[in-house]
Amino acid sequence: MTSTSTLPKPVKAKTSDPQSRGQWWRFSGFVVFTFVILIPIFATVALALRPEQSSGEEGTATIANFVYVLSETLTLKWLGNSILVALGSVVIAVAVSAPAGYVLSRGRSKLVSGYALALFVIQALPIIVLVVPLFMLFAPLRLIDNLVGIMIIYVGSTMSVTTWMMAAYFDTIPITLEEAAWIDGCSLFGGFVRVILRNSLPGVLSAAIFAFLQAWNDYLIAIVFLRSDPTLTLQVGLQTFFQQNSTEWGPVMAISVIMILPPVIIFATLNRYFSVGGIGGSLAGR
Amino acid sequence: MTPTLTTARPARGRVGLAGRGAATPPPARSRISANAVILLLMALPSLLVILLINVYPLIYAANQSVRMGSLIDAGPFVGADNFAEVLTAESFWQAAGFTVIFSVVGVFGSWVVGFAIALMLRTRIPGANTFKVLLLMPWVIPVVSSAMAWNWLIATPSSPLPMMFESLGLGRPLFLADPVLAMITVCLFKVWVSFPFMMLMMSSALAGVDTNVYEAGKMDGAGRWQQLTQLTLPMIARPIYISWILMAIFCVNDFTTVYLLTGGGPVGSTNTLLVLAYRTVFQDMRTGPGVAIAFLMTFVLVVISVVLYRQIRKSSLQ
Amino acid sequence: MENSTPSNGFTRRGFLGFAGLAASIPLLASCAPNASGTVDSDTVLKFWDMPWGAPEYSDTAARIVTDYSKSGMPSWSYQTIQWNNFYQTFSSAIASNTGPAVSGGGGFQAFQFAELGKIAYADNLVETMKSSGSYDDFLPGTIDSMKTADGYVAMPWALDLRVFWYKQSLLEKAGADVPTDWDSLVTTGKALRKIGASGFGIAGGSGYNHAPQAIITLMLNNNGGLFDKDGNLDCVTERNIEAIEFTKQLVAENIIDPGMISYSMDNLVSQWGDDKVGFGIHEPGLALQLGDTTGDVSVASPLTGPHGDTGTLMFVNNIMMYTETPSQEASESFLEYYLDNMITLWEDDAVSRIPVRQSIVDLPIFQGNTHFVKIVKEYQPIAKSYAYPASAGFAGLAAVDGGMQLWQFAQTVLEGKTDAKKSLEDLSSELAKVL
Repeated sequence: MTSTSTLPKPVKAKTSDPQSRGQWWRFSGFVVFTFVILIPIFATVALALRPEQSSGEEGTATIANFVYVLSETLTLKWLGNSILVALGSVVIAVAVSAPAGYVLSRGRSKLVSGYALALFVIQALPIIVLVVPLFMLFAPLRLIDNLVGIMIIYVGSTMSVTTWMMAAYFDTIPITLEEAAWIDGCSLFGGFVRVILRNSLPGVLSAAIFAFLQAWNDYLIAIVFLRSDPTLTLQVGLQTFFQQNSTEWGPVMAISVIMILPPVIIFATLNRYFSVGGIGGSLAGR
Repeated sequence: MTPTLTTARPARGRVGLAGRGAATPPPARSRISANAVILLLMALPSLLVILLINVYPLIYAANQSVRMGSLIDAGPFVGADNFAEVLTAESFWQAAGFTVIFSVVGVFGSWVVGFAIALMLRTRIPGANTFKVLLLMPWVIPVVSSAMAWNWLIATPSSPLPMMFESLGLGRPLFLADPVLAMITVCLFKVWVSFPFMMLMMSSALAGVDTNVYEAGKMDGAGRWQQLTQLTLPMIARPIYISWILMAIFCVNDFTTVYLLTGGGPVGSTNTLLVLAYRTVFQDMRTGPGVAIAFLMTFVLVVISVVLYRQIRKSSLQ
Repeated sequence: MENSTPSNGFTRRGFLGFAGLAASIPLLASCAPNASGTVDSDTVLKFWDMPWGAPEYSDTAARIVTDYSKSGMPSWSYQTIQWNNFYQTFSSAIASNTGPAVSGGGGFQAFQFAELGKIAYADNLVETMKSSGSYDDFLPGTIDSMKTADGYVAMPWALDLRVFWYKQSLLEKAGADVPTDWDSLVTTGKALRKIGASGFGIAGGSGYNHAPQAIITLMLNNNGGLFDKDGNLDCVTERNIEAIEFTKQLVAENIIDPGMISYSMDNLVSQWGDDKVGFGIHEPGLALQLGDTTGDVSVASPLTGPHGDTGTLMFVNNIMMYTETPSQEASESFLEYYLDNMITLWEDDAVSRIPVRQSIVDLPIFQGNTHFVKIVKEYQPIAKSYAYPASAGFAGLAAVDGGMQLWQFAQTVLEGKTDAKKSLEDLSSELAKVL
């Protein structure tokens, strides 16, 4: 059931080997620790599956809350909006930061170092200093209460990190591979596409996952820029639903579970591509 | 053609036109610098984004911070009045103080936990990868969800945790209502949310460590603790510092965890500068002072990040 | 390594082209023509409303709106706007000419926008309604509460009041009576405390206005108030200080539970449901929120203050017309229709608010709700707005209602460490900044 890819190659286990002797203790420790850490999540799921107090059913887990929120409320619309925005942000962010990461990785000049510094500083800016002017910029452009508007902002706010991630991954691809492509008559950009991009699936996925997470989990930008009910993303929709139906924990937690599922599924399946070590490496190496 | 770079470490010495050694052989270097235009074009979309989403708002915000306006118009010029008002307000310093506490506890708390887990995951444990994925969850799930769950767990006398404490005879802790306890709760929440990120960063840093040094260390009689402090820590010092810096920036810029759990209360004890700025702009509708607070934050963060960035780069050239 | 051209033909030009297209979408969106000038039955005007209740409310209201049809008049569309940052929603929409022609909103929003010159005064509509007889159907004082020196800024459609609620079963268990004045509130509170319940349910969490509204209700109960007759800030008065000291007494005796300083509305309502709150101030919909149909949770009669006064806080929910409309005539015609037909909301049980029209109060379904009937009978006559004792509303009240000052003030009082007079002085200086 387990993949030991993150562990050092084990020597043949002997009972006197200290590693294997302690392992069941460590295992139980981890079980307990993980259980405690995940209590809030268990609570969310349990409350979502609990039948309504007024319905009279006791003790049985039910998906009635899910059925209710998906059919009687705007949850499905909100879910669609969140997916649209997240995927859109991911696509644009990757499209923008891949070539930028290439420049960061292969470029050599004061300008490039300046660019690297700019990227670092930008992601340190508090979002509130950007939100107010952007609000005033977007208002006449009809980008308020508009999913495209927040998509643009998400791209802006994740771009630094995704560019670093790309750059870090590109750093691991030897430039000799591109040289061979150039000798064969490729242009610089052609080399980028054919050599770098082709071999960078893990790096691109890493950046994509990060961008998805940022867009999916954002709250502040969504509450400032989204207004009318049908335009909301799940984050804001859940909060407003919660405020209007304050004692209905079942449906509220059901929406919460729906909101949790996509990032969890993505991480559960793709986590081996996700590497944040690149951020550290690329910061250090510039 | 033999591959030249096999490790995951990026090539060193990227600054300046004098590249080093095998990383940038002359033909490649000149090829790249000859194509400066193409490189510029490739970076162009991101430069446009930076200009639109970051530079322009920053300039506009600077303008707004010296005016008393609203969200729909910048308003009349008031010079440094907003800054004077903000810097003399008790609420500002209270928020600044908690921002520092929150960041310090958030950074070191999450680092200690994340590092410990990363170390343990290196040893042989059945299901290590599954644990790793499960332990990522606090960071992966939206804070809206987790804040709601935490609130349900601790807010009222009928909530599970207070009831548990009462049944154990420990009285009823006012997790969100007592100012000091609320600060602790918020910090704990932040550590819970952030340790997975640290765990990931430390895991990948540790993965790059050459295990042979441990054999040598063991032969010299080094115990486990000494191995950790004398061998491991120095080897991954730089990724550690970087993770601290990143996490500190994340903490200072974190709106959602504080806002959704306590809203900055009670009596402003858990207010951070970001929440204060938000409320000043969007609740009090006083854009000038709110942006002034945001600008002060920006200034401090930019200065710190530039200084630290230069530090990291300097140390990496050695 | 391959030497052949990629089969998808991906080139630099294609890539830039895509990026350019993506960038131009928002710019294109802004080029849509504005509705202006002529208006006919093909135009659709916008009515923005707030989520005043459960989803049924919005559905029913939307239906009323789309059912409107008058020859030669444009039709209307209905949209729900969220409370979060609602003032910014409206102001940015109006500033960019994308706002509604008619809308609901916050209690003092119309006063704010009127000061900015964005409100179309309703004087003409009031005259029309006087001749049609609808005017007399409105409960006394409700339309007048919308009057300013320059005219009526909006038309009322519902009332929101703060009333005293009690839980019968819990009081019986504690052996306490329903309080009738401040002293008996303390007695009942102490009895409730003995059984582990609170005698004054209040939600003091950051950002929630429930606690300050409850405290102001007490101030109004004692004939105090935030302003003076001329509309100037006047918080530090004898009556107000008494009310604050009374609140502090409740805190000191644990009649207000120490956890309440962090409660959200949800926390508070769930505590009512969990038998942890036996008495408190709340909006008219408490029984409905708790799903209590047994009458266990009931409205108490207004408390008498230490000097024999009664009084409570109210908000007049209203609908306003904007100058930013293609046709003022169309706006007025629609608003008149809506005010005459909103009775459907109560007939269909889609809203749990106090109406402003006698004809709605007389509805059998409304009369069947004992809580509401009692509220109309006993609370509406003594209800006052934030402006009390000033008679007219003004724009500054919106800043009071929406800003941080009120709930910060409430938290200070609930914390119990500040002297009553000082906390009122602080409130006054903070409010002065936003007024």
